[in-house]
Amino acid sequence: MNGPELKALVSDWRVATLIILILLSVVAIFPHFDSQGNMVSNLQYGLDLQQGSWLQLEFRAEVVGFTTDHPVDEFIANLSKKLDAEVLYIDPTHLEIRKYYSQAELDPIFTAAGGKLTTYQPGVSKSTSEDVKRILENKINTLGTKDAKVNTLVGMNNVARYIRVELAGVDMKQAQNLVGKQGKFEIRVMTTGNQSEHVLFGDAITRVQNPSQSPAGSDKWGVGFTLSDAGAAAFQQVAIKSGATADPEHHELVMLLDNKSVFSAPLSTDLARELQAGSTRDLFASTGSGKTGSDAATNLEIHLRAGALPVDVSIAGSGGVSAPLGERYKMMALLAGIFALITVGLVIYFRYREPSIVLPMVLINASEIIILLGIMSLIKFQLDLPTIAGLIAVVGTGIDQLVVITDEILHEGKVPSPNLYLKRLARALGIIVVAAATVVIAMLPLALMDLSTLKGFAIITILGVLVGIVVTRPAYGKIIMQMLSK
Amino acid sequence: MGMGLIKYDIEKYSPKQLVIIPLVLLAISIVLLALNMATTGMPVTPGIDFSGGTAVTVITPDTADQIRATFSGYPLIDVSEGVSNGKFLKFSSMDDAKYQSLTSLVTEKYPDAQINQIGESFGKTLQYQAVIALIFSFIGMAIVIFLAFRTFVPAVAVILSAFADMIMTAAAMNVIGIPLSLGTVAALLMLIGYSVDSDILLTNRVLKRQGKLNDKLTGAFQTGIIMTSTTLAATAALFIVSWLGSVQILTEISAVLLIGLVFDILNTWLTNAGILKWYALKGGIK
Repeated sequence: MNGPELKALVSDWRVATLIILILLSVVAIFPHFDSQGNMVSNLQYGLDLQQGSWLQLEFRAEVVGFTTDHPVDEFIANLSKKLDAEVLYIDPTHLEIRKYYSQAELDPIFTAAGGKLTTYQPGVSKSTSEDVKRILENKINTLGTKDAKVNTLVGMNNVARYIRVELAGVDMKQAQNLVGKQGKFEIRVMTTGNQSEHVLFGDAITRVQNPSQSPAGSDKWGVGFTLSDAGAAAFQQVAIKSGATADPEHHELVMLLDNKSVFSAPLSTDLARELQAGSTRDLFASTGSGKTGSDAATNLEIHLRAGALPVDVSIAGSGGVSAPLGERYKMMALLAGIFALITVGLVIYFRYREPSIVLPMVLINASEIIILLGIMSLIKFQLDLPTIAGLIAVVGTGIDQLVVITDEILHEGKVPSPNLYLKRLARALGIIVVAAATVVIAMLPLALMDLSTLKGFAIITILGVLVGIVVTRPAYGKIIMQMLSK
Repeated sequence: MGMGLIKYDIEKYSPKQLVIIPLVLLAISIVLLALNMATTGMPVTPGIDFSGGTAVTVITPDTADQIRATFSGYPLIDVSEGVSNGKFLKFSSMDDAKYQSLTSLVTEKYPDAQINQIGESFGKTLQYQAVIALIFSFIGMAIVIFLAFRTFVPAVAVILSAFADMIMTAAAMNVIGIPLSLGTVAALLMLIGYSVDSDILLTNRVLKRQGKLNDKLTGAFQTGIIMTSTTLAATAALFIVSWLGSVQILTEISAVLLIGLVFDILNTWLTNAGILKWYALKGGIK
């Protein structure tokens, strides 16, 4: 192909669109070396390709449909008492019960309260699930986790049964501690021997700061926190009564989470003196120096926050990948992708034995992958293992359709006249559009449902098909014609 | 520009001869699925994603027996071995406290492990949704095919071929021991979409092109077999790499796709072509 021909080809709008999209995609992916010399890009990796954990939490609550002859307020109050649970009015026909009961358990209770249970759906209302999402996000964000996602899975009936938390760079144990359950936090003070006395519960803590160094820049770590007025008064009173202000060393303060000690330390002499004189609301718990101290401070902060959710949750599923395994999966996926392109190229070469056909096919195929990765970088879509399987399937089926185009155009081995070429290209595109429509339809249920990790896979497969139909197939039709008519 | 290796001699065989092999295979597959249904309650044995339980992947030189000893206090159902030292452990469901202690033991003993745990009720929800997805996906595909061809027999032939692909693949999964998981459901859905493209090519060529029937069938085969071979090549590449690298989910997805594509060749060029030939001989194609 000579200069003017190449120019004509590139300026064809189909080919030009493809080239522009490839360039934009490369910019969007932005592969570059970071300051440590590692290859990085804008691609976001799912939790199976990097260190991280996920938790799927199930709400221990239900949304029920109801009818009653009584005034609704009265009915709700009555139910709430009988169920020993918070009962929320959602709309004129639905209530949210913030405690787990089976439908069989609820039926008689509704009847006794003067109403009727009409529908039963485990989960919470959309607005409650959003509250929980916000609380969890706050909790996670204050820890400075670099990449956290909280997704509520709201069904078509506006009831959310699950909430999914994804934490990059956090291991399973930490993740479970963070969101798995509501902790009961308590501070006690040692009295005599092994005895201790209650000082306050977690609800008296109004504010918790991030771990900090005290004095600043000293590498001595700790967490500052603030008590309510009542909490501060109780703290002063018990500290004096127990003798902690007079003899701090023998009357340590103990912090308990679910009755397990998570921190203990004596009052500092300054604080002991201060408490003799009056109550204080601002406290600082020192956890030690160096990395141990800073790690302990991070954990203590989680504990202090204890973060009560409005609804109990149970862990419905969880998982995590370590950094080395994630790295290994990433390598394998890359290898598989390259290997797939090469084998597909070989099969095509075996069929056509003509570099001017094989080369454009393989390049078009690779360009589809680049464009898809570009779109993923742009919309911050996470690349995970099922998505990679989808991408590799795009390689396989993308080539299929290029074969259809080639064979239709080359029907009976002769290069057709421009008129006939257009007719045949249209016929090939007809076959391709039907095939593409079936793939899109087949993947649509998965893309719309929240079937865990498969949503991403389905969306990428659909996107792949669309990019093929709209951009790369028409461009290929043009390129192959140009190649063959030289 | 021919591929001389495979000869597709459709001329020699009657439609009945063409469809008999796939029909027998389909019948055997249905029996196998029914047997599995009778013994386990599900046509395809569900994996941990649907039945609930814990899956642990570790890369370790420890033997399966050593691993069994390590986890003797836990409901370990199965230890399977990959190639490069990959070990895949499966535990049945356990309560939260037991699971927490398992997590501790795994992280202590194999800090680089991957853990996935699915609760029983969550698994049930996933399974229900997966079944719904499969059904809707199949119905959606059938509607597209009907809209595209608007003739009854050819459309049914395509749908029947896709149906046979799924059934035979599911039966083969049982025989080989690949469980139904989120990954393999994804693979089955891909098959619904992808297995029909060679059928569409075949039907399109036979219905819409001029020429002798046998020439059209042979021509379609030339193109169609390459289409399936390229997809086979890509999935084979994925299978080999993920199998050697002990990436279980990719190994399972690609294995199911490979099996499905092989059955697809059979169903497209025997079942679908057989029915089309019968339809043409009967005078359905002018």
